[in-house]
Amino acid sequence: MKALATALLIFVAACGEGNAIFNVDVLSFLSASDSVKRFSVPVGIGQADSSVARRFFLPPGFGESAADSVSASATASIIDTAGSGSVQFDVFFARTQAALFTGTPYLSANSGAMVAGDSVRLLPPTTVSLADTVFQKDTVWVGIRARINKNIANTMAGRFRLNGLNVRIVVRGNIL
Amino acid sequence: MRTGVVALAVAVLVLAPLLPEQARAQFSFDARRVGMGGVSLSRDGNARRYNPAYRAVKNKGLAAGTGAPKFSIPIPLGLIDFFKDHPINHLGDDPMFNPDSAAFNPIALLDIVFNPPIFLEVKKAPRPTNDVQFTIGRNQLIIDLGATKVLIPEQDFGLGSTSRLFDAGAGFGGFNVGVMGFLEYDVRFNLDSTLRNFLVSDSTARPNTSYFVNVDGVAQAGLAPTVSYAGRIVKGIGGDSTDDGLYVGGALHYYLGATYGRAVGPAGFVTGNPVLGATPTPLLDGNVFNSTKANGHGIGGDIGMVWISGPFEVGVGVDDIGAELTWSHTKIQRYLYTTSTNSVSRTVIAPDTTTKTKLPVTYLANAAIHMGTGTTVGGDVINSGRGTVIHIGAEQRTGPFAVRGGVSRDQRKKMQFGVGGGVRLGALGLDVGFWTHSNSLSTQRAITMATSISIY
Repeated sequence: MKALATALLIFVAACGEGNAIFNVDVLSFLSASDSVKRFSVPVGIGQADSSVARRFFLPPGFGESAADSVSASATASIIDTAGSGSVQFDVFFARTQAALFTGTPYLSANSGAMVAGDSVRLLPPTTVSLADTVFQKDTVWVGIRARINKNIANTMAGRFRLNGLNVRIVVRGNIL
Repeated sequence: MRTGVVALAVAVLVLAPLLPEQARAQFSFDARRVGMGGVSLSRDGNARRYNPAYRAVKNKGLAAGTGAPKFSIPIPLGLIDFFKDHPINHLGDDPMFNPDSAAFNPIALLDIVFNPPIFLEVKKAPRPTNDVQFTIGRNQLIIDLGATKVLIPEQDFGLGSTSRLFDAGAGFGGFNVGVMGFLEYDVRFNLDSTLRNFLVSDSTARPNTSYFVNVDGVAQAGLAPTVSYAGRIVKGIGGDSTDDGLYVGGALHYYLGATYGRAVGPAGFVTGNPVLGATPTPLLDGNVFNSTKANGHGIGGDIGMVWISGPFEVGVGVDDIGAELTWSHTKIQRYLYTTSTNSVSRTVIAPDTTTKTKLPVTYLANAAIHMGTGTTVGGDVINSGRGTVIHIGAEQRTGPFAVRGGVSRDQRKKMQFGVGGGVRLGALGLDVGFWTHSNSLSTQRAITMATSISIY
């Protein structure tokens, strides 16, 4: 993947002044166990996280302030099978794994109050990030988190499914 | 290892179509020729190089005291521009020359190698400005090149040149014994139909499919002791007082090859299933031939004739006829990428065998008419085995001033134009010439300004 991206970026550099637009279907590179998570938060715990962190390779040319803009969009769904509470869905991008899940997420949506049997579709608004320094390195970490908030006296269980996660990176043509 | 090989392979796939066409065969360091679209109106340059009969013909410019200079010295204005962007004291750190740099661009480096920035590029060829979209997913790889698709060549393409690095000798009575140095390289690429269809029509990569470029490159160099004859076999009406007559020339070369190498094979990658379920498998299976001893040998020859009648002259020359070199000590190795070991293995197929190479036959036909009014018009057709190039140009001299113009059809069959002028002050002249040229990255032309000093 890294090699392919590198070669494509070289090609773009050779092509000239137009933009290179990379539409990356991030979800497709995640395993089924990464995109569908079952959770069960027992009595006594008010908040719990279910998260996935994966590393992606970017072409080396991105390290030269090449990413003009990065936009991200995602869709997810929550099914509450037991108990009540809410689920916060967040997507993070970071240069290192340690930096994931800190700061403001790129994509964020909240299910609102749910009770057993509810199914909620999460559609966080698309975000556009200009000249983002996170993408000025040859690797980027993607973190997806479902944060379950509930009353400490209850149990809450359900399923979280990531239905789509797409990143659109626009690179200026004259990048090298 | 695998990452590097795939990057190289894919880069070759996508870059190969963009390599410059046939290294500018028309390139000249003489601004006079540049201003005339590449034609040489004097009896030097292409004429003597490709037609051995011209050895017996006096250079009209030298003989008459006008026209052609003794030699020209290029004024490399382009180098000033180049070194401004690439300071000479920082070349070691320059991303252009450092493959380890993130900003290393092999295309730019190739362009420098094959199009040395001697002269000033006054109008650069605009590169395609359309967006290029890549859709990347585990199940899909879609490349939409947009308008850039028109740049993907339909036939094989590449670059090559046959040069005579030097040609020295001595003789009498029209006979000459000497030695010349030769250098020939030819690299050709051919996009496999699946790859071409992917880049031009379909845009969607298929699973379990090979995408590759067939590469065939050869380079050889050596010396050639030569025996030649050039003379006027029929004199014109004016006898020895004029150049009129029929001249013939011929040369017999015994080629002594010093070294040669050849690489043949496909380079590309094989998609998985799903397409990007894993890093595509490199496809690299090439044979490399190289001489282990400097013992290439073969015989070839040149022939030519020139007919001059008053202001009119016409010539035809053919070089390197039957030039086939036999290399008695050639090593053949196979380079194969093996997925299981994630490495490129090298197998010696034949440690010491005999192979043959050929030098391409070169043809030149030229004609010129030198009018008494200071006007000279001429043209030539040249084919060095890599496509025919046609030049037609004219020069008008009035006192110390000269105005020049010309057109040419390049190896890509595109029309190019030249215009220029010069001023001569005694033994010194200053010439400037503009000419258009095209590269593979653009459908539009660039303009180069050549400047040179002529010594008369």
